[in-house]
Amino acid sequence: MMNRVFMILAAALTMVSCSGRPESATPIDEEAPIFPDYREVTVPSNIAPLNFSFLGEGRAVLLVCGEVVRERSGVFRFSSRGWKRLLSKRGEDGSVEFTIFTNKDGKWLSYNPFRIYISPDPIDPWFSYRLIPPGYQGWQEMGIYQRDLESYSEKTIMRNDLTGGNCLNCHTYRDGDPSKMVFHARSSFGGTVVVNEGKIEKLNTKTDSTISALVYPFWHPSGEYIAFSVNKTLQAFHNHDANRIEVYDEASDVVVYNVRTHEIAWSPLTKAEDRFETFPTFSPDGKWLYFCSAEAVGPMPDKYKEARYGLYRIAFNPGDMSFGDSLECVYDAPAEGASVSFPRVSPDGRFLCFTRHGYGNFSIWHKDADLWMVDLSDGSVRPMEGVNSSDVESFHTWSSDGKWLVFSSRRDDGLYTKPYFTHIDAEGHATKPFLLPQKDPTRYYKRLMKSYNLPAFTTGKVSVSKRGLTDVLRKSPGTDVGVKE
Amino acid sequence: MVNPFALAYREQQQLFLFDKTYIWGTFLKVGGLATLLARFIVQFFWNPTIALILTLLLLALSVWMTWVFARESRKDWKILPLCLVPAVMLGASLADNRIHFEYLTAFMLAQAGLVAYKNICSRRILWGVIITIVLYFTAGPAAILFAVCAALRPSEKHPAERAVVFLSTAAACGLIACLTAAVPTWADAFTPAFYFDLDAGSPAFHWAAWIALPVSLLLRVLIRSVRLNRWIAFVSGLALAALALIPAERFSNRIEQEQPSLAYIFEYYTNNEDWDGLIKACEKAPWLPRTANYLNMALSRKGELAERLLDYNQRGADALVMVTRDRAVDVAQAHIMMAMGNVAAAQDVAFNALYSLNGYCPAMVKINAQVELMRGSYEVADKYLSLLEKAPRYRKWARDHRSFLHDDAAVEADPILGNGRRNLSAKNAFVMFTNPMSELFPILDANPSDKRALEYGLCYLLLAKDLNSVKHFITDYYSSPDSLELPRIAQEAMVFYSEYSRNMEGVEPFGMDWCYEHGVQPETVARFEEYQKAAVAGPVSLKRFRGTYWYYLIHTEI
Repeated sequence: MMNRVFMILAAALTMVSCSGRPESATPIDEEAPIFPDYREVTVPSNIAPLNFSFLGEGRAVLLVCGEVVRERSGVFRFSSRGWKRLLSKRGEDGSVEFTIFTNKDGKWLSYNPFRIYISPDPIDPWFSYRLIPPGYQGWQEMGIYQRDLESYSEKTIMRNDLTGGNCLNCHTYRDGDPSKMVFHARSSFGGTVVVNEGKIEKLNTKTDSTISALVYPFWHPSGEYIAFSVNKTLQAFHNHDANRIEVYDEASDVVVYNVRTHEIAWSPLTKAEDRFETFPTFSPDGKWLYFCSAEAVGPMPDKYKEARYGLYRIAFNPGDMSFGDSLECVYDAPAEGASVSFPRVSPDGRFLCFTRHGYGNFSIWHKDADLWMVDLSDGSVRPMEGVNSSDVESFHTWSSDGKWLVFSSRRDDGLYTKPYFTHIDAEGHATKPFLLPQKDPTRYYKRLMKSYNLPAFTTGKVSVSKRGLTDVLRKSPGTDVGVKE
Repeated sequence: MVNPFALAYREQQQLFLFDKTYIWGTFLKVGGLATLLARFIVQFFWNPTIALILTLLLLALSVWMTWVFARESRKDWKILPLCLVPAVMLGASLADNRIHFEYLTAFMLAQAGLVAYKNICSRRILWGVIITIVLYFTAGPAAILFAVCAALRPSEKHPAERAVVFLSTAAACGLIACLTAAVPTWADAFTPAFYFDLDAGSPAFHWAAWIALPVSLLLRVLIRSVRLNRWIAFVSGLALAALALIPAERFSNRIEQEQPSLAYIFEYYTNNEDWDGLIKACEKAPWLPRTANYLNMALSRKGELAERLLDYNQRGADALVMVTRDRAVDVAQAHIMMAMGNVAAAQDVAFNALYSLNGYCPAMVKINAQVELMRGSYEVADKYLSLLEKAPRYRKWARDHRSFLHDDAAVEADPILGNGRRNLSAKNAFVMFTNPMSELFPILDANPSDKRALEYGLCYLLLAKDLNSVKHFITDYYSSPDSLELPRIAQEAMVFYSEYSRNMEGVEPFGMDWCYEHGVQPETVARFEEYQKAAVAGPVSLKRFRGTYWYYLIHTEI
């Protein structure tokens, strides 16, 4: 403790007394109240500056690496160059120490210093997401956007005002490749859009053999296939429940789409009458198709709490688009009174991250939803320590190198989903996650009346033109998807 | 021609925010300045009279700008009537609530561009091109209007060449806007469809003002070239303006058929909590279910629902709440559910109706803020309040409600928020999965002190003529010593039911003792005897019993 006092005093004494800098400060044994909570987080070296606000009373200054940073409009702001300079001064443990001083009644007080750890693993430079009001039926504006993680620049990939204000959803990339993308547009000008190295194609994906148009896509690593589910999904508003909305399936199956032949195929094991199958995902080697499956229950919504999904996989042969003849249970969540959704395998194939919650499959509306991990090398399953909060943690994607994970969380206000990033080490351990940086995060996130939905890393900027997407959705009759004989 | 209530409703289709990001974000879109001006003006439309006056002032300004551009001198008054024609068409277009108000402001920006262009003395082509470009990106395709009309300036040299240059410039701007997907379609890039609701299929009439302006200017050129007598020109202009009223009136009438203005009137009184005004407006057609919904909500808000329910021609339980299939945008239902005490159902609607044609719907933001305070979701409530604080009209309301943040005791002590919170403590169920009563029962179980919910429940069963359920309802909620006084119509229902229960199969007979024990007054019993005599005497004698439950029960088909 005395060492810390001396360090702070020494640091403070280096400050010049003029221009409002603290000459000496009394340490108070309190954590600095800041937003976003960047205390003890691990960040990549190529992340945009982590500006933050001091939420306590009084004027505050920040001491970092011997430099004094003063609040501007209530925010500690760092220029891009200044931020890089700070990170370059990180200590042997890879961290930078931040100390906040506040002036109360003419006296300077110093909060407990905190550290930000700089990971040597860079993060994919872009990530994309949908911005949507958190309602479930009405929206005026929504769009799919992408953000340069190395700056604050946000670009639009597609806006729904270009296609009659319809719903745009489920944007997905092949291993973060920005040139291979798929998303759905609904109602007027609806269809599934596949962007494949500059070529934009619209698909009409409802077939006589499937219960709905294709939903929840996931690319095969070869880029030749996309796994989808087909779902009869309904939603309802709770009268009085912490989980405001319930989204549930009355039926669902998993199919695989062949990008070249425009055909879908399935196994009787992914389209069983007595089961709900959903959220398919391929393993990085493309030989396994993972998905969530529950014993079919009904009638819905009466039995919505009885639908519990386990995690299964089936062999997939990319050569002839065929499936194995048996299912393998990866995690029997229902046996533990739980349910899983959104399985995603790490690029090295060792870990599978999923969302675990009490029941159902639409975890974004379940307060108990947390991120869990399966170590596929030994089948062990565990919650991701340090990542989860008392509110929703849900949809997540891996970075292309598997060192970072982005996920959605409602931890800040319980309703508006925000993207958090966490570093994953070789053993699958996660660090304390950090919120997507903004120029003025407090003001930005308070003013934001939309949720960040389906965050997904990309290794570069998505460059497909909005005009091209608009024209295809508006004018193209679309290619009818068939069923493989 | 333009319904002031329809204009006033525009105020509920947007929320102008005094916020740098909002203003800058709006400005940077194609037509952004026109949008900002429109939204700034429309925020004052909370009162229909103000809405009408402001609109008329803008139209008058539009007439003046047309005249300033078209006149040769300040004494050129003979062409003034001709300048009325575009404004008449503009006014009629505004009757259609799907056309954004920026249709008018963009038009006026184009006119302002014309006035500015007229006063430029040198490098007129260059300035014309600059104005066209600036107009396109600040007012949208109204720049095309400028490009067409600028060449029709009095004494313009080489008008055809200039028209080609300006139109080419506007076309290039439209092309860029379209290719960069700043606008959805070519129609949006070049036609008044830009100012119409997304892909809703703009009626051809919205071309009228766009055609009327250049035509008026062409006629002005014609008048000048044939040296028409000033009085003949004046009278001809007046006649033309009068003629323009015919299609304008026809269009307004068509819009009135498609978008009945009653809804705007009801919403106006509801949002201003003018319950007497709402009752008066509803009295014109109380037999229509949605009108009856508003009427009964107003009665409930005044605490007079059960007392005055049968003063009006009610037809069945739908008169209290008509549940539509698509509740996402049914703002009326949010208000009605709030009045019923079903705050979860109100939020179900308000949550999804948060966004209107041009942004947030203030009434729905308020409901969401209230319900979040009731729920104790203070961070979310704070978001809504912060939003409302940026709009002058709602700032005080928001600031007043800010004091409830993180103060459970204050919320619980507040008559509205506290009552709502108690109602939310009802057992969980999905909102509106069966019928309104299935949700009211648990609410009443949780909060029997909610008088409005209690009356809604009782009246719902009475209007449904479900006397057995009425009896159970009274047993459950009007039997304790501290219960509210049993409303007259419920007394009448029970007296009737008691009398007829003796002869009805499957109904357990009950006598007057039960009635007296449950709040029926002797006067009601005495009047029932009179009613029975009148019923025997014939229909004329029954007239004086209109407004009684007996009359409703026997003579109203549901």
